[in-house]
Amino acid sequence: MRALNFAKRNFKELIRDPLSLIFEIALPLFLLFIFQQFNLPNELFKINNFTPGIIVFGFAFISLFSATLIAKDRTSSLLIRLGTSPMKPKDYIIGYVLSIIPIILIQEVLFFALAIALGLSFSINILFTILISLVVSILFIALGIFIGSFASEKAVGGIGSVVVQLVCFTSGMYFPKEMIGDFFRVICELLPFESCLNIIRGTLNGDWGMISVRNIITLAIYLVLVLVLAVWLFRKKMVSDNK
Amino acid sequence: MLAIETKALTKKYKDKTAVNGIDLKIEEGELFALLGVNGAGKTTTIKMLSGLILPTSGDITIEGLDMKKDTLKIKEFLNVSPQETAIAPNLTVKENLEFMAGVYQIENKDEKIAELVKQFKLDEVLKKKSKTLSGGWQRKVSIAISLINDPKILFLDEPTLGLDVIARKELWKVITGLKGKKTIILTTHYMEEAESLSDRIGIMAYGDLVDVGTAQELIKKTNAKNFEDAFVSIATGGEE
Repeated sequence: MRALNFAKRNFKELIRDPLSLIFEIALPLFLLFIFQQFNLPNELFKINNFTPGIIVFGFAFISLFSATLIAKDRTSSLLIRLGTSPMKPKDYIIGYVLSIIPIILIQEVLFFALAIALGLSFSINILFTILISLVVSILFIALGIFIGSFASEKAVGGIGSVVVQLVCFTSGMYFPKEMIGDFFRVICELLPFESCLNIIRGTLNGDWGMISVRNIITLAIYLVLVLVLAVWLFRKKMVSDNK
Repeated sequence: MLAIETKALTKKYKDKTAVNGIDLKIEEGELFALLGVNGAGKTTTIKMLSGLILPTSGDITIEGLDMKKDTLKIKEFLNVSPQETAIAPNLTVKENLEFMAGVYQIENKDEKIAELVKQFKLDEVLKKKSKTLSGGWQRKVSIAISLINDPKILFLDEPTLGLDVIARKELWKVITGLKGKKTIILTTHYMEEAESLSDRIGIMAYGDLVDVGTAQELIKKTNAKNFEDAFVSIATGGEE
């Protein structure tokens, strides 16, 4: 109950920040719309391939704004007040994660509504994609908790932009990894964003061949690792920030 | 009955001792002021007493409960108004009160909120987002929030810091209204605040609790003209 109460507060904080809405929802929607107007002769920009890219791109901003919220909470006295309350560390983590899930759902519904309006065929795969995306989004939420736990409110912007850039350049949403040489291809494979995109893209297209075992293992390893690191660091910082 | 008792309470950070083995006894319903210059150890003491940080050594007993064993039980009946205003900025004043009522799982939430709104005259700001309020209002809301769980023990860390004279006097009225009903531990830099609000004053310097007494007792003990001189004399070990 305490976690849910905290999630409600976090959701209101996030949704009432106009910048968060612009970057998490309006910008991805704009990109989805504008790229469909160019009629680019590349498979990646076809609506069934580009929509998953936009989903992962939107997740990068989820990381940025959840990190901002946590960094703000850390630097304000609110966490001191909550630290003296009966809230347990798990209430904070669950509260942060739960508050972001509705934003993810809003993103998905709006992205798919626009994608359908732009020509994406309606199918049951859209529902599967939303469910799979929710799992993938945990990685980005955990990444946000991790960044927000160590970075200051000012530094979060810079670090968050690095995540956004990494998503753009290593996920394969704009260009295939093979286009840019072996070294860069290895980096794309070592980072989790390409795997995230392949899993979402494969699910939307009902093309399971698009999803490799490496993709699943990479996502699973990063998801568990970042989540564990985020919980550990947040708990550690809650104590050390109050010293 | 004692509300708070500490025995040899110590907090060390690497080579620095922030609080140096203090023994403190605070009675139920007492308003106890902790006074000291910057870095004296007041805030660290409050953080330990409120369960925010663990002591390096020593014991804390709150309302007969051991802080080490019964932290969560103790946290149910104490509250803190931190030095900086501790409210959620994008939430309205009412939402802030509701949020904190949820944190403490208050059953008669609406009744309690209505009572605080009346007590702190929050009607006019109830629907305003907290970040749009003046410093004085924010501090007032912050103190109102700290009463949401009807705490037996209330810690007020520099409650009037940075406020103008009028806002400060208004908050004094609020704090005076709470006297006798709650055990209040107040830290402050303002001598007149400690002198006029508190039942007893503890003076801290370099992590030590140097002296404890009423304002009059401390003035008498140091043969000072007023409380400020008494404080300076005690805090500097009579060197000034």
